Formats: sequence, C-alpha cells, structure tokens
Amino acid sequence: MDKVLYVAMTGARENMLAQQTHANNLANVTTTGFKADLEQARAMRAFGDGYPSRVYSMSERPATDTTSGTLMETGRDLDVAINGSGWIAVQSGDGTERYTRGGEFQIDITNTLVTGSGLPVMGNGGAPIVLPEAEKVTIANDGTISVIPKGSPVNELVVVDQIKLVNPENGTLWKGDDGLMRTNNLTPLPADQLASLRAGYLETSNVNAVGELTSIISLSRQFEMQVKMMKTAEDMSSAATQVLRLA
Amino acid sequence: MHGALQVAKTGLSAQDTNLKVISNNLANVSTVGFKKDRAVFEDLLYQIRRQPGADSAADSQLPSGLQLGSGVRTVSTQKNFNEGDLQITDQTFDVAINGKGFFQVVQPNGEIAYTRNGQFHLDGENRLVTAEGFLIEPAITLPAEVQNFTVSNDGIVTVITAASAPASQTLGQLELADFVNPQGLQAIGQNLFLETPASGAPTLAIPGEQSTGILKQGMLEGSNVNAVEELVNMITTQRAYEINSKVISTADQMLSFVTQQL
Repeated sequence: MDKVLYVAMTGARENMLAQQTHANNLANVTTTGFKADLEQARAMRAFGDGYPSRVYSMSERPATDTTSGTLMETGRDLDVAINGSGWIAVQSGDGTERYTRGGEFQIDITNTLVTGSGLPVMGNGGAPIVLPEAEKVTIANDGTISVIPKGSPVNELVVVDQIKLVNPENGTLWKGDDGLMRTNNLTPLPADQLASLRAGYLETSNVNAVGELTSIISLSRQFEMQVKMMKTAEDMSSAATQVLRLA
Repeated sequence: MHGALQVAKTGLSAQDTNLKVISNNLANVSTVGFKKDRAVFEDLLYQIRRQPGADSAADSQLPSGLQLGSGVRTVSTQKNFNEGDLQITDQTFDVAINGKGFFQVVQPNGEIAYTRNGQFHLDGENRLVTAEGFLIEPAITLPAEVQNFTVSNDGIVTVITAASAPASQTLGQLELADFVNPQGLQAIGQNLFLETPASGAPTLAIPGEQSTGILKQGMLEGSNVNAVEELVNMITTQRAYEINSKVISTADQMLSFVTQQL
C-alpha cells in the first residue's frame, strides 16, 4: 500500500492539534489579560531511498501574541491594567518570578497583594507586596501603592511599595505551562520605571474571535482534505487488489 | 478523541457560570445593600506535546515546540464592595452606613452574620430586628409609647417616650464590624455575610471611628449593580458562548466526516 496514507494521517493529526490551540484561545475569549497563542505548521522532511516525497507536517506554537487587549473600566481600586507595553511581576508557587497582564488584585488573609488566582504580586524590592491594615489603597500610574493606614486622618497617605513592572524586549518572554509568561532561565528581569498602569481598569483578552473562528473553519476544511486523501489512498489500494486478484 | 471538544467545553461552562453571576447581579439590581459579584477566569494548564529545544534531527532543534492549552476555568467570584447610592427613604428605622463596616445580626442558630442592609423593623417584643426578623447585635429594645426614635451618626440610639418627654432616653449604641479583607466574606444570601479565615476576624468599632463609616438615619444604601454594565457583560458572555459552541460543532463535523469517508 502506498505510504501516502501516513503523510495524510500526520496532516490530519496536526490539524486536530492546531484546532486545539484555536479552541483554547476561544475558550479564553473573556479571560482578563489573556494573550492568544499563535499556531503554525512546519514541514518535516523524512527522505529515505527512492522518490523523496515524505514530507510530514508538524504544528507548533511559535510564540504568543502580546498585543494589548482593550482596557475596560471597572472602577475597583485594586483592578489594574497596563497601559501600553509591560508586564506585572508575580511570584509563582515555586518562588520564581513570572509575568502576567491580568490585574484583578485582591488582598489575602496574610495582607499580601495577590492576583485573581492567588499569586503574590512582586514589589520593586523583589519581595511580595504586603500591605498594612488600610482604610483605602490607591495604586498610582507608576505602580506605587499608597495607603491610608487604619485610623489615620485622610491626608496621611503612606507609600508602601511599588508594583514591579518589567518591559523586556520582544521575544524574551514565552508562556510556560501554567499560562504565565516566563524568561528562559527564570532570572528576575530588572524593573522598568517607564511602564505605566491604570488603576480601576482591566485589560480584556486579546483574542480576535473572528480571526480564530476563521482559522478553525479553514483548519476543518484542511482536515477534510487530508481525510479525502486517506480515502483516495484506500480506493487506490483496493483498485490495485481488484486488478491483481487471481480469477 | 478531539482535544478541541474538551477545550471548548471548558469555555462553555465558564461562560455559563459567568451568565449565572450576571443574572444574579441583575436580579438584585434593587436589593438594598447588595454587592455585585464578578467571575474571575484563568487559563488552565498547558500540556507540552513537544518540548521547545528538543532535537528534531541529529543536528537541528525545534525552535518553538508545541504547547497546547487545555481551556479556561472559573477561579473565583470577587465581590465588589463599592458603596451603592444612598437613597433617602425618611423611614424612621432605616439606617445606612456611609463608608466601611457592617451591621451585626444574630441568626436563629446564634451565630453572628454581617449585613449592609439597614432596613430595620420592630418585632412583637419591641426589639429592633432586620427585615428577616433577626435580632441586631447589640440588641436594642424599645420602651413602651415611643414618640420619637433617633439614631445618631455614631450609632447612639435615643428615644423620647410619653413618660420621659421632653427629655430623651439613651437605649444603647450600634456597633459596626469591619474586616481586613471584606472580599473574603462568605455571602449566604438574605443580604448576610459570614466571617471566614480569608476575611479575618471582625474589628468592632463605634461608627465613624477606626475607618468605619458613619450612620445615616432615614436613608438606605442601594444595590451597587450597574444595570447597563451588566447588560454589556451579558452580550459578551452570550457571544463567547456561541463561539465556543461553534468550535464544538466544527470539531463534531470533522469527526463525522472521518466516519463517513473512511
């Protein structure tokens, strides 16, 4: 039987995997600060003896789309969105630094500033931000957190810490398996004083729903073509059997 | 079978949860002292199908690998404790908190719950109770033949009775409970909240002291739900739901094509 069946099979299989990338983007179409994953296919040659026709396909995620989502007004003091480029540094479960654009902050039982999923937010000193018991917490555009401590007069603002914002060159961050952005060797990036925040806003997901749906439709048609090729391979094989059948 | 099916399913259930949160907010658009909720989403773990940097041949490496996301999940709901608009009702037993803090309410099981709803009433024994009939803490019991009932900004309850007129009689002082992290309170319905390890222990204070708000008699705090905002959220939720169901039907068509053709 012709090995075209295997070439077509990798095409169909990789189409299904690529489909999952787009489905994941669409599932996160309303996730705050989510960055869409890009997907591409690569030709993988496997030439041996004979006619060099074995070029299999392979899907991969070359990068994450880091363009900004839309800023959405929420009016909540502890919601922040990054204005322009930059990332918020958070501490992951293993103590290393990761980066996110999701700024749905809250204060946990230990008075630590944490993200919506409970990861501590890093301060400029390189330690998680712990707030004193406060009447009101304000986050300035450069990430400086000031509080009115409990029982103090309204005009006594105390600066507690500054949220660590980083702004590395494009291509140095990639998405780890926890969905947070990371550097290659996990060394903390230097803080960037130029990155700016907007308190009271959240950044929506940057998934382009129409683009993703179009890719899904296109991949689904490609998949059908691969299956058609398999069918053709089967037809050819059975035709050959038919012709060569001993009477 | 088809990874996209499972992924889109997580998308559908997340949007389902979101719609439930939004509809609850909208249903409580005129509930006194209601605080709106918001669903918080997070992308699920990524599975690494091919490690970036793995060898693709003897002398070449894959530059980017393949990491597939497995969808979305609802991490939590966050309550927004922004203050609602204060409405003037001119009802004697309506008390609003202008600022932070909660009234304490004794539930029938003896546990203390917390509320921002200050629609108080009198029960058969002349005690100050919530609309549900639960006693407030500290308990305030009115004497007979009350002519005038006053709650001051700092919570002191005074009455003028037929016997005492024109002098007033002090019955007690309302206290407010405040929490380090009000978002951590557990909402149990009936406008009531319970203390949890995440909220921290309550600190009791005289209204207006220790960063709590002052009391306003004859006013009520409206719901902090913004109907327009919720309707916009409802539209995005519906569209996101449709898109995810479209992914499921596409994946289904792909699979059915295979079974028909082969």
